[in-house]
This record gives sequence, C-alpha cells and structure tokens, in this order.
Amino acid sequence: MSRTFSVLSANAREAAESLRRARLRTVLGLVGVMIGISSVIAMVSLGEIAREQARKQFEALGTDIVVVRKAVGSGAKAIDLPNALQVAAAVPSITEAAPRISGRGTFRFAGRKVGGGAVQGVTRSFASVNRLTLQEGRFISDLDADRYWCVVGAGVAEAMRGAGADRLAGSLLEVDEVLFTVVGVLDGKEESYALPVQVNANKSIFVPITTAQRIAPDPGVEVIIARSGAGVHYEAAVADIRSYFRRRAPDLGLDIVTAKELVARMEAQMGIFTLLLGAVGSISLIVGGIGIMNIMLVSVAERRAEIAIRRALGARQRDIRSQFLIESVILTIIGGMLGIALGLAATWTICRFTDWDFLISGLSVASGLGTAAAVGLFFGFQPAHQASRLDPIAGLQGK
Amino acid sequence: MLKLTGIRRSYRIGPVTTEILRGVDLEVHAGDLMSIMGPSGSGKTTLMNIVGLLDRPTSGACILDGRDVSGLRDDELSALRNRHIGFVFQSFHLLPQLTALENVCLPLVYRGAGRPEMRRHAQAILERVGMAERTGHRPDQLSGGQKQRVAIARALVGEPALLLADEPTGALDADTAGEVMALLRQLNAERGITILIITHDPSVAGQCARQTRIRDGRLFEPKAAAADGA
Repeated sequence: MSRTFSVLSANAREAAESLRRARLRTVLGLVGVMIGISSVIAMVSLGEIAREQARKQFEALGTDIVVVRKAVGSGAKAIDLPNALQVAAAVPSITEAAPRISGRGTFRFAGRKVGGGAVQGVTRSFASVNRLTLQEGRFISDLDADRYWCVVGAGVAEAMRGAGADRLAGSLLEVDEVLFTVVGVLDGKEESYALPVQVNANKSIFVPITTAQRIAPDPGVEVIIARSGAGVHYEAAVADIRSYFRRRAPDLGLDIVTAKELVARMEAQMGIFTLLLGAVGSISLIVGGIGIMNIMLVSVAERRAEIAIRRALGARQRDIRSQFLIESVILTIIGGMLGIALGLAATWTICRFTDWDFLISGLSVASGLGTAAAVGLFFGFQPAHQASRLDPIAGLQGK
Repeated sequence: MLKLTGIRRSYRIGPVTTEILRGVDLEVHAGDLMSIMGPSGSGKTTLMNIVGLLDRPTSGACILDGRDVSGLRDDELSALRNRHIGFVFQSFHLLPQLTALENVCLPLVYRGAGRPEMRRHAQAILERVGMAERTGHRPDQLSGGQKQRVAIARALVGEPALLLADEPTGALDADTAGEVMALLRQLNAERGITILIITHDPSVAGQCARQTRIRDGRLFEPKAAAADGA
C-alpha cells in the first residue's frame, strides 16, 4: 500500500513536470481534447436547453390540452356543431371544450385597412381553454348567437388605434364588407408553436361560432380544443372522446392529439436529438483521444532510455505503466476542464442569439470530466502498456 | 553471495543462433572488489545483464544470496534489483529532468520509502561521494566526473549487496577516471561494499583485488593476475 502510494505520488509529480517540459506537445494534445470535450458539452447542453425550452412552452398552456380534428382524408363530413358543443357536458374526462370554425378576412376601420387574419368563430369557453385575457370589454358569450359582434386581438387593436380609434369597445370593424361591433379587446399573447393547434390570437378577431357558420367558406367545426380533467390519463380522454363521437356520428374519422402525448413524443425525440448531438461531439473527442495516443507514443519512444533506467533501478512494469497513464489522464483532465469552459461559453453565446434561457447542466459537466478521464485512460493505455513492456537492455544500450 | 554455474546465453537472429556466453562459472564473495575484463564482443555486457537480473540465461543457474533467481517473475526480479543491486553505467544514465538529489532518490521511490526519509538518505550519500554542494543541480549542470559520482550515489542509496559497474570510467578523462576509481576502492575498503567492475581497460582492472578475463564467452581467473597488474 505505502509502496503503491509512494510510487504513484512520485509518478504524478513527474508526470506534471514532464508535461510542463514538453510544452508545445502538451498544448497540442490539450487542444485536441479541449475541442472534443467542448463540442460534447455544447451539443449536450444545447439539446437539454432546447428540451427545457419546449417543455416551458407546453407548461405555459398546460399539458392537459386535447385537440380534436376530423381525420385528414376521411371522406366523412365535418364535425357537426351541435355534437361539438356538447362534448364537455357529455364526456366526463373532459372539463372544457372549445370548438372553432375558421375563416379569413381583411379588416378595415373607418375605411382604412387595419390588417387581415383569421376570423375565428368561437364560444365563451374558447378564452378559458386557451388562457386568453381581456384588456377591455368582454369575450364572446354564449348569448351572442348570430350576432355580428367581435373581440379583437391585441395586434388588430393596435392597428385600429393607429387608424384613429380612441375607444375600441363599441366601434365598428369591417370584415370583408360585413360590419362587426367590437365588444372586447384581448391582451397580447405569445404564440406557442409547440402546441398541436395554433391560436394566433394577436392577429385574429373572434366572433360567435354561429355567426362564423354563416360567413365562413366551410361551416363545419374545424377543431375542438379541450382540456382533460385533473388526473386523467391522456389515453383515457382520447378513448372517451372517440366513444362519444362513435355514438353520435359513427362514420366520422377523428384525429385526436393530446399535449401530453406530444410532450412524451417530444421528450423521446429530444432524447434522440441530444444523443445524436452527443455522438457528433464524441467523434471530435475520439479524434482528440487519438491525438493524445499519438503524443504519448512519441513520448514513450523518446523516453526509452529513461524507462530502461527506471526498470534497472527497480521499477516494476506496472510502475512504468502507471507513470504514463497518469501523464495522459492529467493531460486529458486539464483538456477536459478547458473544454467544459469553452463548451459552456459556446452554449451561452448561442443562447444569447436564440433567446433561450442559458442553463448549466450539471450532468453534462460531470460527464464531460468523466469522459475526459476515460479518454485519457483508454487512449493512454496502449502507449503506457508499450512503455511497460520495453526491454530494459535495449533501452540501456540506446537501441 | 552470488554464484553463477554453467551460464549459457544465446541469441537467435533469424535462422542463426549465436552463443555469447558458453558456460560461465563465477562466484562473488561479500566484500570483493572484482573486475571482469575483455575486448568488445566478448560477452561482458551480456554477463553483466545476467548478473544484474536484467536478462535471463538460456541455461545455467544464478544464485543470489542462496536463492535461485532463474524462475522468478518479472515483478520479483524488479524487487530484487531494487534491493540487492546497484548499477553504475558508462554513460551515467542520470535522468536529465531530475536534480542530483531526485536522481539519487529514485531507487527508494520504487522501494516505497517516504519522501523525507528518501531525501535524508540521498543527501547523506551525496555527501559521502563529495557532492554535497550540488544536490540541486541537474545533470547538464554537472561535469562528467560529478555525474558519475551522482550515479554512484544512486547505486549505493538503497544499500545493495552488489554494485555493478559497467565501464564506469569509459566516458571520463584519465584524471577524473582515477578519482572515480579511488572512490570505488574507498567504498569497498571502508564499507565493505561488494563491487563488480566490467571494463576493457587494463589500468582499471589492475586496481581490483580480484581480476578475471572473459574471452569467447568463457571466464578465466588468472591466479597471478594481482601480481603483474594485467
């Protein structure tokens, strides 16, 4: 024990000294490992940050969202409005449901164009399902049936104010030559592209769903956005909705997507994505490792005489092996630490340009250091083993 | 303390087998100051490698302190070298990156000694060989004679039973060579250290109490060698 410790500590001191002396070679070896580790760190961190970012978007809207559409390519007619309106009442695993009929239009105020966008026919529940809030007036109510009343998104409201409207509630908005009375103005809302349905509230206007049925080119329900109850598994909610529609409209094909399912799928995809990025980084790490091996082989070849002298003085083969292994591990660990710093700096820079939240993944830092040490051991082993097997007689004679 | 009987050593290079040692018998007693002299190619370095446990004979027995070493594993041979044999080489073979003191410490490192103890021993032995003032110098800051003194200190620091010197004065000028030989004789006389010197130089061999010659792979010990000095 004490012999091992004495030899190892002497080896460590001399390894550090040897690296200090072979300065250029050490730096070259460091750079290789540093680039390898930094790309692994950057790739893995970015993967994790992207995943975290997507997860946050989902959480902002809740992961209990269920989106029901007519199946693409199913020959059946669209989802029937009366059936859509009763989903929340008839399906126990669903707490709220908001059907939507969509059209598009150009908006004019006081004769001036103030934008164009979606005209969304909705019910009262649409605001709560999609977490829409009002800065003025009220949202569409279920008593507004067939009325030409509308709620405008923040972007449209802004344009109307720009066109001279000082009080929006009560003013008239012309949508493709049909006049609507504004009853409410929405707060601005960031769009979440991770969700299976886009609301795009800022550039839209919202009208009673029955009114939309009259003016939209397709009077069928385009989509039902629902929320499942607390503690309901998404597969149960999907099954309940399917059985409800099977009773009401047996030949209707449905396409149902849940946010939870998407989250699960996304996590799986992000996992693969992270793995893939990690693999790309690993390739540069392997190249760095080969560089270390090369450097260590040169070092062993240069120090044949030294190895022979040590053997003559009583060094065992494993003492020589540990001496060179310690040298390569010190080299890769220093390279690893520099690589972690560089990788995190690169990640931070990318985050600044993409508006993502920078975070340091403890896992990636720990695995970076671990990987560096492993690279040192793996690629250092062959040269160290070769050193330990050198014939001391040949080394002493300078052969 | 060291007994070789019927030592043969042959090398195969391709289809040709060359026999370097052809049955060497040698007995070294504790306290001997002994030379092995021979022209180059006579097998003296091969013999020294076998005595120094760096090489194994093709046949024959090598008994060190009553123990047959021919069947030992590499690790055991390393430990025996470390404990029982000190090497002095023609070209000194000091490690250039280490100071004189650190070079002298090396055998103790592989013995597992503690650092303070190692340095104390090394310091003492460097003083004994007259290098007390230069313990912190690296080999490139030392003259040839000084390097060989450090090398002798390194060979002695572990208190080995046998000091093996291969052409210890071969790289030195006559004056320095004389000083180094004087040091070796002193160490033999004062401390009773057993020394085996391999050389091709009759004047070096002449300073040894026991003289042997090696020729064509065989060892001879002229009975009257001590008298006429050659």
